[in-house]
Amino acid sequence: MAAPAVCPGCGSAALLEDAHYAQQQLVCAACGCVLAEGLLTSTYTDRQHLRDIRIISEAAWADLEGRCLLTGIRRVQDLCKVLQLPAVFEETAVSYFQRALQHPSFHLVSLEKKELLGGCCVFVTCRQHNWPLTMGTICSLLYAKQELFASVYLSLQKELELSVPALSLADLVKTHLNSFQLFQHTADIPAPFVEDKEKMITRTMQIVELASETWLVTGRHPVPIVTAAAFLSWQSLQPAARLTCTLARFCKLAGVDLPPPAHLRLKELLEILLRMASQLAWLRVFKMDKKTVVKHIGDLLQHRIFLLKNAFCLEDEEEQRAAALAEGSPGSAPAAGGAAQEKDCPSKGKRQREDSPRPLLPPCLINPRKRLRTAAPSASDSAVTGDEPISDSEIEQYLRGPEEIQTFRKAKGWL
Amino acid sequence: MDQNNSLPPYAQGLASPQGAMTPGIPIFSPMMPYGTGLTPQPVQSTNSLSILEEQQRQQQQQQAAQQSTSQQATQGTSSQAPQLFHSQTLTTAPLPGTTPLYPSPMTPMTPITPATPASESSGIVPQLQNIVSTVNLGCKLDLKTIALRARNAEYNPKRFAAVIMRIREPRTTALIFSSGKMVCTGAKSEEQSRLAARKYARVVQKLGFPAKFLDFKIQNMVGSCDVKFPIRLEGLVLTHQQFSSYEPELFPGLIYRMIKPRIVLLIFVSGKVVLTGAKVRAEIYEAFENIYPILKGFRKTT
Repeated sequence: MAAPAVCPGCGSAALLEDAHYAQQQLVCAACGCVLAEGLLTSTYTDRQHLRDIRIISEAAWADLEGRCLLTGIRRVQDLCKVLQLPAVFEETAVSYFQRALQHPSFHLVSLEKKELLGGCCVFVTCRQHNWPLTMGTICSLLYAKQELFASVYLSLQKELELSVPALSLADLVKTHLNSFQLFQHTADIPAPFVEDKEKMITRTMQIVELASETWLVTGRHPVPIVTAAAFLSWQSLQPAARLTCTLARFCKLAGVDLPPPAHLRLKELLEILLRMASQLAWLRVFKMDKKTVVKHIGDLLQHRIFLLKNAFCLEDEEEQRAAALAEGSPGSAPAAGGAAQEKDCPSKGKRQREDSPRPLLPPCLINPRKRLRTAAPSASDSAVTGDEPISDSEIEQYLRGPEEIQTFRKAKGWL
Repeated sequence: MDQNNSLPPYAQGLASPQGAMTPGIPIFSPMMPYGTGLTPQPVQSTNSLSILEEQQRQQQQQQAAQQSTSQQATQGTSSQAPQLFHSQTLTTAPLPGTTPLYPSPMTPMTPITPATPASESSGIVPQLQNIVSTVNLGCKLDLKTIALRARNAEYNPKRFAAVIMRIREPRTTALIFSSGKMVCTGAKSEEQSRLAARKYARVVQKLGFPAKFLDFKIQNMVGSCDVKFPIRLEGLVLTHQQFSSYEPELFPGLIYRMIKPRIVLLIFVSGKVVLTGAKVRAEIYEAFENIYPILKGFRKTT
């Protein structure tokens, strides 16, 4: 509104623009009457021109980074508390996190990755102190995708040049079994299913060691093996009552996830145990199958060194025998075994008889997936010099003719 | 290094003046008369070969020398590749693509195979599986035109900002960018990669662009082989912790980062090994010869 020319109070024409603190005012110099005031606050529409570009000053940027660091550190500390780690771990993890955030390759990654970075630092710390923490646990705590976690972890390991020792299976067994809920009598677990913790831990450890000696562990995810071994040891401690329980039911009762590979690991473990059982004198009389062998796991584990030696060919002997039988008929070689070791095992077809010793090899070598191998480079390939003349006709086959271009254009609607 | 200690004192004085050489200096066996036309023999440690085998090796080396007389080049760089050249003579003719090393200062026509440590050669040659190379076509390209007028091209600008072109012989794939730079992948040898890149450049030329062939460079080579015995990866990561990364939760193989040469090896329990990160073929062979004795150490199980 237009400013009045005279003061309504005293009629004087001496009007001043003055500021009362932050507020502009039109004041009469004679009587001090306030004629008009400026606005103290602005509305959302008034601030329209301020909203489009947000210019962050240097100080504000440093503030953001500092806040990011602080939230990250707090997240690392929370993780350590949730996992009930000792205080030393927390300090180490926080120091790794600070180092990582200052490293140029992690400075500007997305927020999602920075969250995972905290988890990775905790994971690395635990591994370095031989605390058995699996990636699965951290991923589930952070609600993170395994592949993203894997990439952040690998780049962290490379950039900070951390040496991370391998996961110790013995500790993993103990930690994993701690989370099983079979060691106390509760309402939903039948009485014969409850088991003593120490006995189960010892036996599971022995079965896991057996698996590791027979190549079932190398290259495989550790948790399904521990689950399968725990199941077998639990069954074998009271076979009469527990043989009818399946692996899935066992995991449900124990309150533990059933990882999908556990079924395969169980099958492989049972196969190894069956072979060992075939070498035990007082068991040869019985016809062993997957169910009955569980009853004798205790005996098998007790004599496992002897049984392993007898049940499986060692590579040395195999090579000598294979060399001696150099003219061995190729027809008897089983389809499953590509290795020379298999040639002299008396086997016909893919299924071997259970009493013939089989070489102690990883399962991927025993059952190789039939894949078409690309042929070795032929002589003509190796004669390529790279500077041969290129014929026009060969190139023209890759170019479209004019009619073809027309039809293609019409079809695609491009110009 | 080790090799120097095994040299008789007079042989050390024969070190070639070329500064790039390390222990791979020309060494003459004490049995060989100086300056004869026969290929000089590398010094062998005592426990390895019988005289019969040595003579056999001599013959093979002579054959190798005759075959490779045409390829005389001084390799200033890889001092370790000589190991492979020597090891190959025990089994077959030398590999295509390896050039012999330092010309002998005494007998200029024959290549020298310097001494190798006492370990036996592996006899296994990694096969090259993939070569990635780049070349600059030297002119700006209109990707839409290329995609329209070439049969073997696909272009989806929303997904990726380059034309993906494929040819049948050699079977390769190329990524062609609008700046004129091109990446060629899928070839099985360096020469094939170069030939394929030239073919792509010729296709682009025929489409009407003034394409040239500048700065062809091999960026990466991938090889693979099989040592034919299972490997205890857990043991390997314990003893070579500073080079290895073995996370069975993430990946079934062990990632071994070799420092010299700078190659990454993926080692699997089945005994298959994948080698990658090489710029020249010799690096792959050298890396495999370095890892083979280490892997053999993890062969025996119980």
